[in-house]
Amino acid sequence: MISIKNLHKSFGHINVLKGINIEVAQGEVLVIVGPSGSGKSTVLRCINRLEVPTSGTVIVDGLDIMDKSTDINFVRSEATMVFQHFNLFPHMTVLDNITLGPIKVKKMSKAEAEKLGMGLLSKVGLADKAKNYPDQLSGGQKQRVAIARSLALRPKAILFDEPTSALDPELVGEVLEVMKNLATEGMTMVVVTHEMGFAQEVADRVIFIDEGVVQVDKPPKEFFINPEHPRLKDFLGKVIVHG
Amino acid sequence: MAFNFEPKVMIESVPMLLKGAELTIYLTVGGLFFGFILGAFFGLLKLSRSWIIRKCAGVYIETIRGTPMLVQAMFLYFGLPMALGFRIPAMVAGIIIIAINSGAYIAEIVRGAVQSINPGQMEAGRTIGLNAMQTMRYIIWPQAFRRMVPPLGNQFIISLKDTSLLMIIGVGELLRTGDEIVAVNFRAFEVYLTCGLIYLCMTMSIAKCLRIIEKRLQMRGKA
Repeated sequence: MISIKNLHKSFGHINVLKGINIEVAQGEVLVIVGPSGSGKSTVLRCINRLEVPTSGTVIVDGLDIMDKSTDINFVRSEATMVFQHFNLFPHMTVLDNITLGPIKVKKMSKAEAEKLGMGLLSKVGLADKAKNYPDQLSGGQKQRVAIARSLALRPKAILFDEPTSALDPELVGEVLEVMKNLATEGMTMVVVTHEMGFAQEVADRVIFIDEGVVQVDKPPKEFFINPEHPRLKDFLGKVIVHG
Repeated sequence: MAFNFEPKVMIESVPMLLKGAELTIYLTVGGLFFGFILGAFFGLLKLSRSWIIRKCAGVYIETIRGTPMLVQAMFLYFGLPMALGFRIPAMVAGIIIIAINSGAYIAEIVRGAVQSINPGQMEAGRTIGLNAMQTMRYIIWPQAFRRMVPPLGNQFIISLKDTSLLMIIGVGELLRTGDEIVAVNFRAFEVYLTCGLIYLCMTMSIAKCLRIIEKRLQMRGKA
């Protein structure tokens, strides 16, 4: 589904990614963890070319994102992203936020898109907020709307960039709940997060990125129970104390 | 020589002055209409990724902002005909002057408003598969436009006052009309005072409308 080979990314003369290799299979939930500044968000942003890789190849559902003939807008709607700061469109109602993509990108009729949108809002438990504006919602509600907005494109994969990091602690649960349901339904997900509980419970594989390379790539059981890698041990020691 | 204030002169001059004020409004509205188009165009050029395009827009903006409007008006109306062999009608020249002038300022307003929108909005638009133009049209522009309203209103008031400079090229707007009345009755005090009051009425009405529009825009969906 997603195949990243020897991905490098530098910002000016700072090399953030130094040869990343990751494979994500259809229906797989991959969680990426790592210290801040390790480049995990950059990996995610390279997958749908919000960040242009310096070198390497990224293939999403058979399409090479670096190939000039690839319709990058199409790739983005197939592997869409949920952001840390939600980035809802503040001038549109919740429902319009969700239907914009289907109407403009997937050329769906307005009625059809709204039906789809209402269905997705019920799914994330926010059907009663359809006519509200984003600034009338809590952080957790905003993020659930953002997830519904992504789902409205019927994507093949969703990339989550620290989806709960900007939320008050009591609102994290409702967002993780929605994500768990998606995982159960078989959605391909790549999740950058600090929620180790979520990783343990939901992930098929957990990846530890540090210093611009993948240091560990294992199923969650092995990843958490027996971390041999010294830097991972150190990292887990720090986060799990807080978690 | 004792000065005699004659309020009657003020009242008598009002009907003619209002005719002039009508032209002032046409000049302002016409000029700003084209000024907004110019401003939106050059403002977006200023945001281009290509430095050459940005530079072109910059040259326009700097030239207009860096020269007096009076000089521009006289050059366009008296200077240019020497080269072209014909003179554009004064009213048209007036609208052109207001348009290119306000356009330069509006370009900066547009650029500033678009740049003030969180880059996350562009990314969110792109990530749902919209292309750059669509994201601009459906997401960035509507939000930027709201932020442009207060400075655009300000520009409206400035342009309205600027139209008085167009008396120099013989456009019969408010001040020119006043000037012509004074030439006949020599009551400069009363007539110019009346002109000033009419300008004030117009600018205050615009300010009032703006406050209403701003309130309306604030009511739905900000943050």
